[in-house]
Amino acid sequence: MFMYLPIALTSVNYLLVTGLGLFVGLLSGLFGVGGGFLMTPLLMMIGIPPTIAAATDANQIVAASASGTLAHWRLGNVDVKMGIYLLIGGFIGGAAGVQVIKVLRASGGADFLIKMTYVVMLGLVGSFMFVESLHALRKNKAGKDSAAPAKKSGGFLSKLPMQTEFVKSGVTHSALVPLALGVFVGVLAAIMGVGGGFLMVPVMIYMLRMPMHVVVGTSLFQIMFTCTEVTFLQSYSNHTVDFLLALLLLIGSVFGAQIGTIFGRKLKGDQLKILLSLIVLAVTVKIILELVMEPSLLLAYAGGH
Amino acid sequence: MLRNNIRSYGRVLLAATALFVLSALTAEPARALTCQVTPDNIGISLIYNGATLTITGESTPGDDLIVKVSSTQYTDVHLKYKGKASGIFWMKLGTMEFKNVPNVYMLYSTGPLNNMMGAEARAANQIGYDAIRANATMERSDHAEVGPEWFDQFLKFKQKEKLYSITEGTVTRNGNQFKLEAHWPFQAPPETYNVQVLAVRNGQVVEQATAPITVAQVGMVKKLSGLAFNNAAVYGIMAIVIAMVAGFAVGAIFKKGGGSH
Repeated sequence: MFMYLPIALTSVNYLLVTGLGLFVGLLSGLFGVGGGFLMTPLLMMIGIPPTIAAATDANQIVAASASGTLAHWRLGNVDVKMGIYLLIGGFIGGAAGVQVIKVLRASGGADFLIKMTYVVMLGLVGSFMFVESLHALRKNKAGKDSAAPAKKSGGFLSKLPMQTEFVKSGVTHSALVPLALGVFVGVLAAIMGVGGGFLMVPVMIYMLRMPMHVVVGTSLFQIMFTCTEVTFLQSYSNHTVDFLLALLLLIGSVFGAQIGTIFGRKLKGDQLKILLSLIVLAVTVKIILELVMEPSLLLAYAGGH
Repeated sequence: MLRNNIRSYGRVLLAATALFVLSALTAEPARALTCQVTPDNIGISLIYNGATLTITGESTPGDDLIVKVSSTQYTDVHLKYKGKASGIFWMKLGTMEFKNVPNVYMLYSTGPLNNMMGAEARAANQIGYDAIRANATMERSDHAEVGPEWFDQFLKFKQKEKLYSITEGTVTRNGNQFKLEAHWPFQAPPETYNVQVLAVRNGQVVEQATAPITVAQVGMVKKLSGLAFNNAAVYGIMAIVIAMVAGFAVGAIFKKGGGSH
């Protein structure tokens, strides 16, 4: 039942860890998020040091997103072109975000700002998605067909150069739009120390106006590359990836991602959105409670949030 | 010089012989205190979840016994401390350093420690948390004064990590034999630890015996850990490749099994 982890230097119940992997992989396949915002705190609860929990989760997400990407690929849900533009933007943003953190840290009081940004972003994204998808579901119930949203970015955005068609998503944007949005999410993700799936998914839905199912597939495609990079950098510079822990998690998550994709097909886009928004809101409430209530231990190992 | 040395060795030898004869002549059948630990080598393998230590030995009947299992050397422990940022949110605010403390400290005894010896003797032999507290110093990264309540927090943290414990009355005696069964926590990092048995008579430590325990990684745990630290690029690539292959392989299996899904 127990397995000793060579990097985390702790012993865990392997059935529990594989179960966690299955659960978070399911969310991955359903919503196109890496699930780091759930997995990292869960791993910390079972005694994994924070820095190792975050880095190992990235390794695990490589497997879950590869599994999910393949499943969504077969369903025609991966917009490779869009994914690559977002990825390039994300890489640039991530590098910039790391520099921003250095400046913030040097000026002091950065952690408070980071935490505030995290809570506010989660809260805003969750609330907005919840209200919007509830509205859309009500409209559908009233018998009207949900009118397809305008597939072309209007006004200012349509005047930008480098207009290009994204066939899989059925949208036309300037290539600069996904690039810029990628940079934006990349900066925020680096500052908050998260993968950014929960930010990227709403950005694709509401700002790039992509259909929900293509959003999920494209997000997973993109996350697979981001987490590959993070896994390598964390292994190489910080020695914080526990491969055995990742292996236990991914045994669960690769199956979870497949099951999630199957479930996802049975749900409508708006139903998926409302479920994701509820999870994001629940995580927001949990983080706020943790921030407001006095912790039982006032000392902790370094790392993490 | 040489002659002086020989003379001083001779004196020591004489004193030791006298002590031996003297102890042999006393009415109580005094036994030299001994201490064995099984296992004295703990291997951290893949299925490691801590160990059970059996500590046995001989002692003079009637003496109280204290068994201390601790790090061989005191060190500095760095931790993050939490407080209210801007008066509203509980967050990690900075680093706190606890200097000159053992990383691992576990104490077992035949009875209540406070009845066995006074505070002074406890401090001299590093018995009990107050003795550790007396030697330790604390520093905060913002250089503010660190109140004594933070040492209580430190003890709480260490106890929760299972690295500090005091359990009185766990050492049992049978004639001149003593025995202790103690759980060794998996949280204790690989290094060499010291088991020290103290015999206490009339409030003073009269005899000591020690034995080492070596905790080390073995097999796959050692190999993976070595690879991660000494060959980080290979380790990172291996972690990525296996994750990708596992992801795509399961994806492929589902296609076959799932048919037209």
